[in-house]
Amino acid sequence: MDKRNGIKNLLTVALLAGTCLLFFWAENNLDNFQLRILNLAAIFAILGLSMNLVIGFTGMFSLGHSGFMCVGAYTAAILTMSPASKELIYYMEPIIPILAHIQWPIFPAILMAGLVAAVFGLLVGFPALRLRDDYLAIATLGFAEIIRIVVTNTISITNGSLGLKDIPSINSIWVYWGSAIITIIILKRIINSSWGYAFMAIRDNEIAAEAMGISIFKHKLLSFTIGAFFAGVAGALMGFIITSIDPTMFRFLFTFQILLIVVLGGMGSLTGTVISAIVITIMMEVLRFVEEPIDLFGILSIPGLPGMRMVIFSIGLLMVILFYRQGLMGTREFNWDWVLSRLGRGKSKERGDSI
Amino acid sequence: MRKAKRKFTVLLVVLMIASLALAGCAKKTADQVKPASDVIKVGVFEPLTGTNAAGGQMTVEGIKLANKLYPEVLGKKVELVIVDNKSEKQEAANAVQRLVSSDKVNVIIGSYGSSLSMAGGPVAKTAKIPVIGCSPTNPAVTLGNEFYFRVCFIDPFQGTVMSNYATNTLKGKTAAVIRDVQQDYSVGLSNYFVKAFKASNGDASIVADVSYNTGDKDFSAQLTQIKAKNPDIIFAPGNFLECGILVAKARELGIKVPILGGDTWEAPEFLNQVKAYKDIYFSTHFTAEQPVTEVSTTFLNEFKKAYPDKEVNAFGALGFDAYILALDGITRAGTTDGVALQKALAETKGFKGATGVITLDANRDATKTAIIKKVIDGKFVYDSKVEPK
Repeated sequence: MDKRNGIKNLLTVALLAGTCLLFFWAENNLDNFQLRILNLAAIFAILGLSMNLVIGFTGMFSLGHSGFMCVGAYTAAILTMSPASKELIYYMEPIIPILAHIQWPIFPAILMAGLVAAVFGLLVGFPALRLRDDYLAIATLGFAEIIRIVVTNTISITNGSLGLKDIPSINSIWVYWGSAIITIIILKRIINSSWGYAFMAIRDNEIAAEAMGISIFKHKLLSFTIGAFFAGVAGALMGFIITSIDPTMFRFLFTFQILLIVVLGGMGSLTGTVISAIVITIMMEVLRFVEEPIDLFGILSIPGLPGMRMVIFSIGLLMVILFYRQGLMGTREFNWDWVLSRLGRGKSKERGDSI
Repeated sequence: MRKAKRKFTVLLVVLMIASLALAGCAKKTADQVKPASDVIKVGVFEPLTGTNAAGGQMTVEGIKLANKLYPEVLGKKVELVIVDNKSEKQEAANAVQRLVSSDKVNVIIGSYGSSLSMAGGPVAKTAKIPVIGCSPTNPAVTLGNEFYFRVCFIDPFQGTVMSNYATNTLKGKTAAVIRDVQQDYSVGLSNYFVKAFKASNGDASIVADVSYNTGDKDFSAQLTQIKAKNPDIIFAPGNFLECGILVAKARELGIKVPILGGDTWEAPEFLNQVKAYKDIYFSTHFTAEQPVTEVSTTFLNEFKKAYPDKEVNAFGALGFDAYILALDGITRAGTTDGVALQKALAETKGFKGATGVITLDANRDATKTAIIKKVIDGKFVYDSKVEPK
C-alpha cells in the first residue's frame, strides 16, 4: 500500500510538471485567439468549481453566482485601474476620494476581490440559508439582482451603468490557469477534509447529518462563503481578460451558463466540471461554423442562422437531463487508483487535473 | 445495466476528447491558410442574437448592401467576415480576437451597443487593426484607443443638440429629465442634456430628474411627480420599448408638453405605442426625406431594391457608411497595413456618407449633421437638421 501511495504522489507531481510544460508550450505556440479561449476556459472552470461546491457537494440550490462575480470584478477593477484613467472614466460623477488614488498590484487585488465577495456571501447567506431548495434558489437569485442594482446606482463608486474600462489587461496563461489549479487543489483539500464530509452528509440527508452532530447552518454558511470567494476571484479574472466591465454583464442569465457547465460535468465532481468547462468554452467558438451559410455539394444551401450554436447546446443539455442525469462524471473523480488498475502500472496517457 | 452505463460514459468521454482534438485541427488549418493577397478582409462583429439583436441585424443589412455595391478596393475583392457577439461582452472580445488572429482581417466594423464595442476595442488595439464603429455613441469607446473610429456622433453632441432644440425652437424654460439608470446610453445622454440646458436656462431650470430601470412597465409614479412640477419640456432618452410605454402613459395622464428623446426611438415598436400622439421629438443620424449627400440617394434607392419589405433606417445607413469609410481609408492609405490605415482614417475630412458629411475629430469621433424627427399622424417625419459647430 505504501508503495502505491508513493507512486501516486510521484504521478501527481509528474502530472503537475506535465501541465506546466503544456502551458509553456501553449504560451509560445498558440495564437492570441486560442490563448484567450483557453484562459476563458480557466475562468469558467473556477466558476463551475465554486458553484459545484455549493450545489453539487453541499446540495444547496443557489443561483446567486453572478452577483458575487460582479462584486469581485468591480473590487479588482477599482483596485487596479490607474488614477489617471479613473479620472477620465468617471466623467459623470467623480469617484469618491478614498478610491481615486489607490492602485494595487494584480495578485493582492485578486485576493481582495475574493475576500470582498466572501463577505457579501456571508451577509447574503446569513438570512438566505435558513431557506431550502426552491426557496433558497429564488432568494439567492433575488440577492444577485439586488447586488447588480446597487452597483448600477452607486455611481460615485462603480460609475453606474456606464461601466469601467481600461482595466489592466493580462494575457498570461499562468495567471488564469494558475488560479484555476490553485482553486482545484484548495477545493479538493476541502472536500477531503472533515468539512467536505460534513457538506456531503448535509447534501445526502440533512436530518441524519444533524443527528450525527453536524452543525447544519455553520457548514452551509461555510460552503456558501467559500463558493462566493472563488466566484469573486473568477469575476476579477473576467475583468482582466475583457478589460472592461458593466453591470449588465452579470445578469442572472450568466448564472445559468455556469449551471450548464456544472450539470453537464456532473454535480458533485470536480473533474467533470473542469472537463465540461474546457469543452463548452472551446465548443462555443468551434461551433461558429454552424452559423455560417452551408453549401452541401451545390444541391442544398442553408443560409447562415445566428444562434444555431445555442440550439446545439440546448439539445445537448436536454439529452443529458433526459438520458444521463448524473452528467459526464456523476460524482466520480479522476484518481490514480482507477488509472493504475486499468492500465496496470504502465505509464498513464489520461489527462486530468484532480489530485 | 451497469456495464452499459459505463460503456456510455467511455463513449461520451471519447466523443468529447475527439471533439477537442478536432477543434485543434480546425484551428490549425485556419492558421495554415495565410490570407490570400488578392482578397481584402473586412471583419464585422455585431450582436445578431441576444438583447441587442434587432440593432445588430439592421446594421449588418447596411454593411452587406455596401459590400454588394462596392465589392472591390485597390483592385482586390473585399470579403466580409461576419461574426455574432451574442450581445455579451466576453463574446464580443472573443469575436474580435478571432477576427484578428484566425481570420486575419484588415479592418473591423462594429458594434451596435457601446459596452460591446468597449469589450472588443482593446483587443484590436493590441493587434493594431483599426475598428470603425457604426452606432456606439458613448464617448468612452474611442477614449484612449487610437485604433477605434466611429461614423456616428456622440452623446455629448446629441444631448446638446436636443437641449438647444428645446430652448430655441420649442421655447422651453424648464425641463424634466427621466432616465433609465441601467442603460449607459440613457444616463450619458441625460447628463449632457442637463448640463447644456442648465447652461442656457439657469441652474433652477431642471425641475425634476427621475429614473426607472430597464424592463419597467409602470411609469405612473415618475410621471405624476413630473406632472406636479409642470415643466415646459420632458427629456426621456432610453430603449424604444420602455419609452414607448412611458410616452403613451404621459399623454394618457394629460401631460401635453413636448417629449424629447434620442436616436434609439427610431423603431417601429416605439411608433406603434405613440401613433396617436404628437409633440414627440428625437434626434437621429439619417432621414429618407432629405437626402444630405448624393451617397444618401444611392443608399436609399439601393436599400429599397435590396430589401423591399423593410423600412430604411439609421442603423443600416451607419453600417453602410462604416463600410465605405473603411474602403476610402484603404484607398487613401494605398495599403492594408493596420498602422498606415489607422493614420489614413484619422485624417478623414469631409467624407461623403449616406448619413451626412463626416469629419473625424482629434478623438476619432464623427462631427456631422444631426437630424431631428417628430411623430405626426402615426409617422416619423423630418423636422429639421442641426449642423455641428
